[in-house]
Amino acid sequence: MSAAAVRLVVLVPTVAALIGLLLARRIDPRAARFVAVGASLLAVVMALLQVIAVGGSSRVTIVHTIPALEAGELRIPLELQATVGTATIALVVAIVGWAVQAFAGWYLREDDRYGIFAATVSLFTAAMLLVVQSADLVLTLVGWEVMGWCSYLLIGHWSRNESARRAALKAFLVTRLADVGFVLGVVILAAGAGSTAYPQVLQAWAATDCPDAGACAAPNATLRTAAMVLLVIGILGKSGMVPFHDWLPDAMEGPTPASALIHAATMVAAGTFVIAQLFDVFAASEGARWLLALSTAVTMVYAAVLAFGQSDLKRLLAYSTLSQVALMLSALAVAPADEGPGAGVLHLYSHAFFKALLFLAIGWLSVTVGGTAATAMRGGLRGHLFIRPAMFVGLLSLAGVPPLVGFVSKEHVLAAAEAGAADGQARAWIVLLAGLLTVVLTAAYCMRAWLVLDDLTAADIERHDADTATFPVRALVTVLTILTLVGGLVVFTPLLDLGGHIGWLVALLSVLLIVGAGLAVRSLANGEDPAVQIVGARMPLFDNGFGVDRLYVDYVARPVVALAHLVVFLDREVVDAYVRGAAAAASLGGSGGQRAHRAERASSGLAWVVAGVVAVALAGVALW
Amino acid sequence: MVILTSLVVPAAVAVWLLTGGRTVSHRTANLLASVASVIALAAVVVAVIVRPTVDRAWVPSLGLRWQLAVDGISAPLLLLTAILGVGVVLHTLDRPPKGGTTAAFHACLLLVEFGALATFYARDAVLFFVAFELVLVPMWVLITRFGDAHDAAARADAGGRFVLYTAFGSTLMLVGILALVAKSGTSDLDVLAQGGGHGIPVGTQTLVAALLVAGLAVKVPVFPLHTWLPPAHTTAPTAGSVLLAAVLLKMGTYGLVRLPLASVPDGFAKVAPVLAVLGAIGIIWGGLACLVERDLKRLIAYSSVAHMGFVILGLSSGTRTGLQAALFANVAHGVISALLFVVVGGLKERWGSADLETARAALREVTPRLGFALIVGLAASLGLPGLAGFWGEFLSVYAAWSPAADRPEGLFRTLAVVAAMGTVLAAAYALRVARTVWAGERTAPPIEDSRDSEWDVIAVLVVAVLLLGIAPGPLLAMTGDAVTTIVGAAP
Repeated sequence: MSAAAVRLVVLVPTVAALIGLLLARRIDPRAARFVAVGASLLAVVMALLQVIAVGGSSRVTIVHTIPALEAGELRIPLELQATVGTATIALVVAIVGWAVQAFAGWYLREDDRYGIFAATVSLFTAAMLLVVQSADLVLTLVGWEVMGWCSYLLIGHWSRNESARRAALKAFLVTRLADVGFVLGVVILAAGAGSTAYPQVLQAWAATDCPDAGACAAPNATLRTAAMVLLVIGILGKSGMVPFHDWLPDAMEGPTPASALIHAATMVAAGTFVIAQLFDVFAASEGARWLLALSTAVTMVYAAVLAFGQSDLKRLLAYSTLSQVALMLSALAVAPADEGPGAGVLHLYSHAFFKALLFLAIGWLSVTVGGTAATAMRGGLRGHLFIRPAMFVGLLSLAGVPPLVGFVSKEHVLAAAEAGAADGQARAWIVLLAGLLTVVLTAAYCMRAWLVLDDLTAADIERHDADTATFPVRALVTVLTILTLVGGLVVFTPLLDLGGHIGWLVALLSVLLIVGAGLAVRSLANGEDPAVQIVGARMPLFDNGFGVDRLYVDYVARPVVALAHLVVFLDREVVDAYVRGAAAAASLGGSGGQRAHRAERASSGLAWVVAGVVAVALAGVALW
Repeated sequence: MVILTSLVVPAAVAVWLLTGGRTVSHRTANLLASVASVIALAAVVVAVIVRPTVDRAWVPSLGLRWQLAVDGISAPLLLLTAILGVGVVLHTLDRPPKGGTTAAFHACLLLVEFGALATFYARDAVLFFVAFELVLVPMWVLITRFGDAHDAAARADAGGRFVLYTAFGSTLMLVGILALVAKSGTSDLDVLAQGGGHGIPVGTQTLVAALLVAGLAVKVPVFPLHTWLPPAHTTAPTAGSVLLAAVLLKMGTYGLVRLPLASVPDGFAKVAPVLAVLGAIGIIWGGLACLVERDLKRLIAYSSVAHMGFVILGLSSGTRTGLQAALFANVAHGVISALLFVVVGGLKERWGSADLETARAALREVTPRLGFALIVGLAASLGLPGLAGFWGEFLSVYAAWSPAADRPEGLFRTLAVVAAMGTVLAAAYALRVARTVWAGERTAPPIEDSRDSEWDVIAVLVVAVLLLGIAPGPLLAMTGDAVTTIVGAAP
């Protein structure tokens, strides 16, 4: 049963995308909506079946798909797998996919391109589910790249706006540049194993501690580090870690459901799961772990600082995603090898719920208050019976308040860092300190968002009267709220393979930090937007992300275009010059010969003949 | 029998159109050509399944034979040629050619198809050469007579450049073929491949390989021998561009596999590193040129240079994976570039030029079908998995990372990194085109969306791009055995 469920989990959204594409041109969006929402629900059912079928056993079920590809020396089996981890995360992805489809059906009800949007979301979900279920590096790469392409289409959905077009281009190019690393990492790993199947790759590259050193061939450590560093570069790009981070906030140009999908459970968090699958190899490459630890430590603090000063609350959430994804990746960078990737995967699980909740709630609110700018949203929560408690739970979870799901997973991450530090890893100390700093900053920006949204003085309850949200929208917000409230219970089930435990000392410390930071922000606010009080006139600087976009343009785009101009010049004036030169020489020779002939008189021709005869005669005599 | 049918029918119809049928109407000529190309396609399909052979004496005193056959390496290319042969004729239905008689236009299309099919069938080195050259003349007519109506001088320049440049390459190739035949005493390509260059000193092998590679590299085209391609594409009519990109370029890579790679493997191994470096330079060079190119058709032509770079890189790696990658990328590029040239050619007809700097209506707003086809073509061109372009390029990067034992590993690994960087450039220029042409808010000046025969051709190509991307297995399996024979034969 699990095999069929695994295949269908990936297949159902894919087929939905194809059907959606065929339906996309219809004027009436109902058929497209029915297919999209129905298929996403079916995917949830399939994912549930997989969870039941796997049922907490530690077995790995390999599932065949289409026949393996025999590409000469390389074998590409194209298989999927079902484990406890894949089943749980696939369920999370399917739930978020359903929530996004159901929300988009209402949010984009008047959009003339809703059909194509829904089809793209289906394809995006399918690609993420493929990454989750994949037991083959090439299938992972396929899902990885298809997600990137779908993100391009979704971010650029409103392609009539120049800013959306630019954001889509930027998102795709930045992630694609990083993906060079991912592709090369995959190539190196596959080349070492002669196959792209995870079991073979892990066997060929994982650290071997066999007692008899001669019996098992040790993998080339340098090459392994190179492969994992390259893979990590690709993951840094897709996850928006420093220095690739600047595409993600711009991606807010896309419709809110797309943002929820990209941020909550798919593309941005996908790298966590890929590393988790390859954890045995990853844990053995110090270089790659250092790179990941440094980049994530910087990102989590930097993005949290930026989140605080945003004048647009949707962009605040975008930066909070960066910070939170950095947290989940950092767990992989520092967790002791024997603990495994559990903490990072747990944070992926929990972040999916509360971030989807926050994005969809803010999207809903933006419809009734008319925008996502902090000034427009001021007091917006007041009087809304649905969004207010949802937002409250979501923000508390993001801040990491017990016993919500965000608290449970964040403490696991910090505990992993603590354990790594106890193991004597210097990078674990860096991550632990950055993590605690992030806890403070996160509490601060969550408090700020709440104070802005819940400001009684700016309340205008009447504007909620025109709320047209349909039943599915209310249902999905309720479901996500409940999952955010009680999702932490997963640690008591066998659904995730954890490996570590909450460190109660650190947990106590972080709760104190959260309360302190919250109170401090509240007291500084004085009834105003705390960010205006604290950041003040420097807000535009925060809004454009400290001007990193300029750096991308000045140090990458411009030089490449200049090089391109040089290439075109060389192509025309050097590479093509010998071609034109040959033509010119031929025509010059031709006209020269013609002139020589024309100038020739009969007598001179005769003279040449005589001269020739004499020359031949002389030669004959001389050689006699 | 089926082989001869697929050759004789297009040739006979073409000859009649050029002689007795010069005055037939457009409809009649198109109908005749359609029937001929459909018969040829049916015959090719049967030939690919049945795998018959033709073997007749031709010039007995020289030991030359009419030797035609189908194997795993030629089968995909034969199918590609025959399908696109039908496609270009169908595409012409709604657009009577300007610049000459419609009969001549159709005759040229059929002759190109005939020559290309003969090239892929040929199992005799000299016969291969003859068929290879046969294609030049009808293609020249297509470019100089039926090309871009705006600029007669550009047509003459592009046509002349195309013929002279490739004929120059062919001369080098002919010398190589003659040297090879003289040294090994046979012109039978199968015998040559089985012999694998045994008995020929490595120095001679290298010389022969260098001559063959240099000659064929013009056709592919490999950097820096590519400058005939952009003008030819820019001026050729849409059907001509499609045949040029999807069929003629493939003859070059096919020749590289059949002649130097299979016949003189030791010599080819000596030349391969240079060829691989040039292929990698081509990837970057073509990609960079596309970033600033103003003419959309020229841009697609430069992107061909980049894509063929991947094919060359795969070929040079000397592994079975590399050869598989090259053959796959070859077919994939045939389909993708055909799609792109049909779309871009159609746009040029509608716009009156292909200049990217002119403000136009966004395709997504005014012509959803053309817009969709363009975006699929661009996505495939940047190597998106799930579409045709991905497998060949990924496998050729893989092959470059783990080349054959007799190749310099460090060099090839560097080239793998360079080629992977090339995919970013591909993404950049594809999205540059998408941003200028596809997305936007302008709806003026309005243009007509694709329909009828043009849309049929586009739809078939889109489906082919998808099928090759989702199920690469059958094509890889088709070439698999033949690849093992060729690379396995190398000592």
